[in-house]
Amino acid sequence: MSESKIPIINFKELAHSLLPEGASFDACLTCGLCSSGCPAAGLENMDPRKFIRMAMIGMNEELSTTPWVWMCTQCRRCRHVCPMNIDISLLVHHARGNWPKELKPSGIVRSCELARSTGSTSAMGLPPEDFVFVVEDVLAEVQETQPRFRNMQAPMDRKGAFFFVNQNSREPMSEPDEMVPLWKIFDLVGADWTYSSKGWAAENFCMFSGDESAWYEVIRRRVDAVNDLGCRVWLNTECGHSYYTMWNAVNRFGLEANFSISNLITYYAQWIREGKLPVNSDWNSMNLKFTVQDPCMIVRKAYGESVADDMRYVARKLVGEDNFVDMQPNRSANYCCGGGGGFLQAGMTEQRRFYGKRKFDQIAATAADYVLTPCHNCHSQMEDIGHHYGGSYHVIHFWTLICLSLGILGENERTYLGPDLAGLEVPCRV
Amino acid sequence: MNQEERHFEAEMAVVGTGIAGVAASIFALNRGIKVSLTGNTGALAYTTGYLDLLGSFEKQGFSHVTDPWQAVRELATDDPRHPLAGIGAEQIQTAFTDYVSFIGDCGIAYSLPGRQNLTALSPVGTVKKTLCVPRTMLAGVNAYAQKSRCLIVDFRGLRGFSGAQIVANMAGDWPGLRHERIAVPDMLQKEIYPEVLARSLEVPRYRETFAEAVKPLVGDAEVIGMPAVFGMHEPDKTMAALERLIGVPLFEIPTMPPSVPGIRMRELVEQYFPHKGVILIPQQKVTSIDFDRDVAVLNTADNYGPIRISAQTVVLATGRFISGGLEAHMDGITETLLDLPVTQPDSRDLWYQKHYMGKTGHQVHKAGIEVDRWFRPLDRAGRPVDERLFAAGIVLAHQDWIRSRSGAGIAIATAWKAVESAAAVLGK
Repeated sequence: MSESKIPIINFKELAHSLLPEGASFDACLTCGLCSSGCPAAGLENMDPRKFIRMAMIGMNEELSTTPWVWMCTQCRRCRHVCPMNIDISLLVHHARGNWPKELKPSGIVRSCELARSTGSTSAMGLPPEDFVFVVEDVLAEVQETQPRFRNMQAPMDRKGAFFFVNQNSREPMSEPDEMVPLWKIFDLVGADWTYSSKGWAAENFCMFSGDESAWYEVIRRRVDAVNDLGCRVWLNTECGHSYYTMWNAVNRFGLEANFSISNLITYYAQWIREGKLPVNSDWNSMNLKFTVQDPCMIVRKAYGESVADDMRYVARKLVGEDNFVDMQPNRSANYCCGGGGGFLQAGMTEQRRFYGKRKFDQIAATAADYVLTPCHNCHSQMEDIGHHYGGSYHVIHFWTLICLSLGILGENERTYLGPDLAGLEVPCRV
Repeated sequence: MNQEERHFEAEMAVVGTGIAGVAASIFALNRGIKVSLTGNTGALAYTTGYLDLLGSFEKQGFSHVTDPWQAVRELATDDPRHPLAGIGAEQIQTAFTDYVSFIGDCGIAYSLPGRQNLTALSPVGTVKKTLCVPRTMLAGVNAYAQKSRCLIVDFRGLRGFSGAQIVANMAGDWPGLRHERIAVPDMLQKEIYPEVLARSLEVPRYRETFAEAVKPLVGDAEVIGMPAVFGMHEPDKTMAALERLIGVPLFEIPTMPPSVPGIRMRELVEQYFPHKGVILIPQQKVTSIDFDRDVAVLNTADNYGPIRISAQTVVLATGRFISGGLEAHMDGITETLLDLPVTQPDSRDLWYQKHYMGKTGHQVHKAGIEVDRWFRPLDRAGRPVDERLFAAGIVLAHQDWIRSRSGAGIAIATAWKAVESAAAVLGK
């Protein structure tokens, strides 16, 4: 392993080859808006402005070997605030891919390898038959113990279903009860949905490792799985990067996807508007304050403001208008939490927490009791920095609060609620 | 993959999100016009927060202007092609008042336009004439005017701002001015960006830590100035909270980009404009406009795909070279979106005079597009390009906003006129 060396990239050449039409690095005024707005600025004595300047003056060895590329989460906030739309994350992606596998952070590499090891494409290596077993097992228990849902189904490999629903491996693998609120929501709205035993998993660390062919391979299996079942919509559940990795790759690799790619948040909003999910905030008599974390991968890097607006619509309905507090900045201008880009799996805890300080301050400034986010990496990171910096907030999924509001949240489905809500009994409203 | 083009309909499409585009959107909203705003807000992030109308006068070799209203009146006879020349002082005052009132409602309070220019501080210890300043900077204007006992505090690692330099340049006629430098509490970064400090100061607990570090320095100071870092969102509240903790009135001095006042404005647009009813397509540039018989169609795109805006009127506020409204080539200057004719020096050799800092300025700075009195861009034959097209801001010819300290003035006043004309087309 110590024999491995990182090949040297000509970054200037690479940068010019990646530029969109009409763009120019000559246009960089070195104003520093990118670095000023980057939570990774200062780590490894590097920041986005330095990265570009070093590329332009040919400091290829330093850039090819700096571990900073694993601390930049590729959140693309630098591009968002750049008057010239210069995208440093593209260079970082290539720099990552250039590292020999054995020198890359092993957590990211292992997660990518596991994803390729089974038909599930699960980064935790959960094979199809185990996924099917867990789903059946959890469903049977709910049918048995929660009479309101004795007829609920969690369909598997059902051809022609409207929604192909993906799932972050963390749920079937580590906290299977967290799948139940989602099923309950589908049951209530009468969604025509299915899981697939193949290509069901959400996460994609191959993209984070910069390994283009592995990224392609994983997405290819997922696209095939959806096409095979003939589903109309690939529905991304509450997992940020899974959305981006699929959506971006379909375009990037020119895959034939006979379906559209949607996010669950958009459907939550639609179902609430249509009255199918009659949520309200009556349960919040304590006036607990909530904020939302916009995952970069869903908002800034993909959908933009429309999904951010949907997220706020859903949050306000759930917690009450006056109990919702936005973080500043937010939506497309939001800061990455520091859990993205594989940072949580890269083993660089101290640096990740330094990065996360910006997010912690944002949350602290809202004085919110809870943070809602539809992303697992955001979720884990915000919990960790909360503990580390002495915050008192809790981080929860939307599905938990939707079911709490409707009075259908089971007792095993309350892992992430704080003591103020863990025991709260809300009368069933549906 | 199945993907839909997104389509928006507006009565007025504003192209460009600098001060001119932002002002045009505000004036449209005030008139009840359904407005869309598209553009990259980069240039807005470079603004200092000061809003100049006319800070120096070309006629007097670009000397300081005390009474900008008188100067505007003189433009009408001395420089009739100047974009401000045809707009009456009263209308300009209304435009400024409407602009700062709206921004104030969105969370950044401003002084109203007065009868005379204010004398405001720069980060290098010079002064400039300006018309309106954010409330967080007003105490600095007063402290300078009254030569109060004043302490400037700066921060180790925060570049582009030196209290020592300010004192060195100003102590001659401001004996009560002194400075102190402190380490920013709880920040390990070698380089401290004002943005980072501003965000941290929005956290109540951090404000207390910060105030404790400043308090021992107060001494006999009647007022304390610092680089602009008093929070990003709701700066007036953040500054008031700090004043309570430190016990002395405070003020901000703008810093070099990337500066907090500029980022505040950009975020204000991103945060509040959609709530106020603006169709905002942030951080994207319009790539083409087609004037069909019934409607103007603007094309743009974001990460997710193509976006089309149909509008009855269009306000072009695309700025100059940095913002991409004008483009310089070896053989001349072009307008980028509609290929409008650009008034410019006859040859590139004439763009600059020999002395860059020379007081007479450079001809290239007065290049730009021509408009009629309704601010409709003109074609090569001097006719309006389209009855529905208007232009505002520094893309207009015959002004040197940098030397005349009139960037905001041109942006706000011409946006007011352009919107007035567009409103007439819309019957509003």
